[in-house]
Amino acid sequence: MSYLEFLSEYLPKLVSGAGMTVMVMICATVLAVVISIIFGLMRLSSNFTIQTAATVYIEFFRGTSLLVQLYWIYYVLPLMGLTLSPFVSGVLALGLNFGAYGAEVFRGGIQSVPRGQYEAAIALNMSPAKRMLRIIIPQTFSLILPPAANLTVELLKATALVALITVVDLMFVAKQLNATTWLSAQVFGTTLIVYYVMARFGLIPFLRSLEGRAARMVGKS
Amino acid sequence: MNFSLKSTLLSAIGGAMILSSALSASADELSDRVNAGEPIRLGFATAIPWAYPGDNGEPLGFVNALTLVVLEEMGITNYETSVNEWAGLIPGLQANRYDIVTGGMYILKSRCENMNFSDPIGLFGDAMLVPAGNPKGINNYQDVIKSGATLVTGAGFNTVEAAKKEGVPESQMMLVAGEVEILAAMKAGRADAAVQTFFGAKEHVEKSDGAFEVTDPADMPKWTQNWVGIGMRKSDPDFLAAFNEAMAKVIGGEKWMAATAPYGYTEFQLPGEDASTEYACANR
Amino acid sequence: MEWRWDFTWEILPRMLWATGNTLMAAGVGYLIAVIVGLLLMLGQRTPYRLVNFIVREVVEFIRSTPLLVQLFFVFFVAPQFGIKLSAWTAGMLTIGLHFGTYLSEVYRGALEGVPKAQWEACRALNFTTAYTYRKIVLPQAFPIALPGMGNYLVGIFKDTPLLATIGVAELMHTANALGAETYRYLEPYTMVGFIFLIISLPTAMGLRRLEAAVDRAQGKTRY
Repeated sequence: MSYLEFLSEYLPKLVSGAGMTVMVMICATVLAVVISIIFGLMRLSSNFTIQTAATVYIEFFRGTSLLVQLYWIYYVLPLMGLTLSPFVSGVLALGLNFGAYGAEVFRGGIQSVPRGQYEAAIALNMSPAKRMLRIIIPQTFSLILPPAANLTVELLKATALVALITVVDLMFVAKQLNATTWLSAQVFGTTLIVYYVMARFGLIPFLRSLEGRAARMVGKS
Repeated sequence: MNFSLKSTLLSAIGGAMILSSALSASADELSDRVNAGEPIRLGFATAIPWAYPGDNGEPLGFVNALTLVVLEEMGITNYETSVNEWAGLIPGLQANRYDIVTGGMYILKSRCENMNFSDPIGLFGDAMLVPAGNPKGINNYQDVIKSGATLVTGAGFNTVEAAKKEGVPESQMMLVAGEVEILAAMKAGRADAAVQTFFGAKEHVEKSDGAFEVTDPADMPKWTQNWVGIGMRKSDPDFLAAFNEAMAKVIGGEKWMAATAPYGYTEFQLPGEDASTEYACANR
Repeated sequence: MEWRWDFTWEILPRMLWATGNTLMAAGVGYLIAVIVGLLLMLGQRTPYRLVNFIVREVVEFIRSTPLLVQLFFVFFVAPQFGIKLSAWTAGMLTIGLHFGTYLSEVYRGALEGVPKAQWEACRALNFTTAYTYRKIVLPQAFPIALPGMGNYLVGIFKDTPLLATIGVAELMHTANALGAETYRYLEPYTMVGFIFLIISLPTAMGLRRLEAAVDRAQGKTRY
């Protein structure tokens, strides 16, 4: 079977698997962003307990392997009475793991905002909440978007692992096709290309445009 | 489980309702659920010709085929499939990710402690897959030990236990995830022999265009002849009884043989009158 | 489900042996990555633009695609072309290549971090290229590269469980096998997580200390 024949017969299946990959990625990214902001702010808190709790969380999820966390949520949690669907297990593991990395990035971003901004906000009588919302966080965005973009690409690649807990994503479809057709080179080669296209021509341009918007938002362009 | 966009979106929406959908129904009596019209979930791994998913996720393979015949007899036509790694089949069953295991599990004492099996659906043997010509002369576990060969098999397969019982040292064992990886390991020369079910080995010979051959299952120890049953949770005894009742009516019958014939299942596999799950649980 | 300590002690020897395998896999993989990274970086700085372009594209491709797919590719495809590698070798080479692409970016960033003036001064003083690299550029590039290199060392260690999917008998694989044999998943999987934690946390802390020491030796204070 020529490669074109292979593509015409199997590409639609791979693409529908890719659809699930995108779904997992979006849900996991949302969860990761929420966790990053919460735990990033917790790390900056002056309350010792809150700060320690955040540090423990971050070090724990950064110090253990994503695959181990994934298997644990999928195989061990049910033993404790909590059975999450494969999709939810995958999103949860990805979100918790990347949220930990993101928390450090977010924290770094907030700390990189020049002190002068804080002082000016105080001088202008802004409440702490207003200060955060209108001055600090918008500037943080343009600072953290480059490393956050890296993390997002990493997350896209990491979604391949959820195939190991039976989520029918691109990787899973590829494994199934390989099992039935044994056209391993075509199957996995095309899979690599699809991931590459998603990352290079889908995700990265999108993130670049976000960076551009964030930069314009704070007046640097 | 089909690959359409609709099911992708549906599963995503379901996933998005994290809090509400996170906690699945805790061990509802399977019968209640099925009688209420909800689909029964079949769990299996990719093991041709036993059980494997079709292009749209439909359940293929003879174990799936005969299970569907029995379910039809019970009046159940609504089903879903869940494709897993073999080693994850039992924990997945216990975690209520699906309702019955149709992977083609041998009835073993260690498994009986963790789950229930239906009455036997057939008697099967194991065999070894070796390079054509059998250069190392491997026909059973003892040959493996003597020749120092590397033996590959799947994690969670009955053959892992069997090899241990026969005394194959761990240094000679290679464990991979399942049937597909076994053939890949053999093709790459990473192992000298593979041990798996006779049916699985024959399938691999076909897939490899004669690069490999199957040894005679009669050369394997007598006690590696095993009965296969459909796996169920211990908490679903009513369903088990109903399933066995229905199976007794259709086993070996026209529909049963017609459904399984395309996969190579013949009357020789039929378990016979005196085969029983209790015997298998106690003696395997 | 109750935690069984007797079972834990029973499986501990096998888990520790597997940990040794994991560390070896991470170590060898990292060495391969360090060398491959260097080659890939140099491959982007040749005087031939076509070579630079091709190497760049290859690096981008490998960096942007999942390691898991690459592992399966090598595991299944290599034999079909007659390349027979053991699962170990296939795994090491793939993980080494994958992380090599990351490290090549780290090296590239480090080299670009050395002020242009340094290069120009070397040219003015008539140093040979080799001497320039050896005495001036690399010593300045190294502290810049160190955090990245350290991160990827820990990263490679945490990615070794992926090798389990192609049959390499490392820690995750052993936990899977134990779970499948004994039908108890709680202890093996929790132990795996714990072992990873107690190895990667001190390593990360040690790396941060190393970075600080190197910076101090260079005369830059950190805080």
